[in-house]
Amino acid sequence: MLINLGWTFLKIGWLGFGGGYAMLSLIVAEMQQLGLTMTQYADLTALDLLIPGPIAINSATYIGQLCGGFSGALVATIAVCVPSVVIVPFFMKREQTIRADPYLDQMLKLVKIVLVGLIFAVAFSLLLTTIWGIDQVQSWRSGHLAPLNLVVMLGALGLNLRYRINPVWLTLLAGLIGWLSYYL
Amino acid sequence: MSKNWLLFKAYLLAGSLTFSGGMAMLPLIEQELCVKQQLIDRDTLYEYSTLAQTFPGVIALTNACFVGRKINGRSGMIAAGLGAILPAYLLMSLATVLYRFLPETGPILPALAAIRATSASFLFVAAFDLARHNLRDRQSAAIALLAFIATVFGLISAPYLIGLALVIGLLQAWHGQRQREVH
Repeated sequence: MLINLGWTFLKIGWLGFGGGYAMLSLIVAEMQQLGLTMTQYADLTALDLLIPGPIAINSATYIGQLCGGFSGALVATIAVCVPSVVIVPFFMKREQTIRADPYLDQMLKLVKIVLVGLIFAVAFSLLLTTIWGIDQVQSWRSGHLAPLNLVVMLGALGLNLRYRINPVWLTLLAGLIGWLSYYL
Repeated sequence: MSKNWLLFKAYLLAGSLTFSGGMAMLPLIEQELCVKQQLIDRDTLYEYSTLAQTFPGVIALTNACFVGRKINGRSGMIAAGLGAILPAYLLMSLATVLYRFLPETGPILPALAAIRATSASFLFVAAFDLARHNLRDRQSAAIALLAFIATVFGLISAPYLIGLALVIGLLQAWHGQRQREVH
């Protein structure tokens, strides 16, 4: 398990161009293989917002902890850190050659475009899970609408885009609304 | 005070006070290392943050490694890097343990369901922001749409898509080079 975790997060780290959100979209792809559910993933993205620190570190720690306890968290976190520690000294040694490289620039441009699609896809999957109660598009028939979650989701989206209200507050507010809805 | 300690302290502070990392840490780091301690100038700090966004990996950590190494060599890199990841690692470990002990009954259930719903909202916001900066023409919008469809229907998994993008980008750049040589 530990080797599997370490390998998974090495891969996620090296492919994670664009940091946290890019890695979140890569994590989804690895979730099933690690035995985690879409609901646990939704909780991860919520905790990412509530706990300070880089999203990538938060995510590696969370998944490592769920899969392999404290040692799992340590292995996953160290693995996701490897690219930074390797790249920085390497770059500083041969700064001039890397900067002038036209290939790198074009590759990064394309990766960022693909990332937009990937992150939209993750958001859409989370939408299906939380609003419609299913894990895959193919099983859309078996789902049913959760109206309160839909309202909360649209509300948070609107308040964040329109008034730039801090996601931390919106997350806590959503929790409060859900909590109160139990007593209605 | 030693430079390593100052680096460690600055990144530890920034890591525990800012959410979602990356660029959010920058103002605090600037205040601590540029203004108060004058260990690095602003332009260099900002240049390293831009660079950190280009490379794969944890942006906040890459930035910390750059700045630490610039200021105090290898030991500075380790001090700043540890400072950047330690708060997130410790707090998230704690939060995950507590989260596993949450009772799955009563009002907690709808509260968690509502919180999960907002996480979809914030991912949409992140995707919108990224789209605004990176989808400048029809072609790139179409590529992003293809990536979206391939992922949603589970046709190609995310790591392969990124690998594919790297290869196609390489080919495009190579093609561009050749055309320039011909003319």
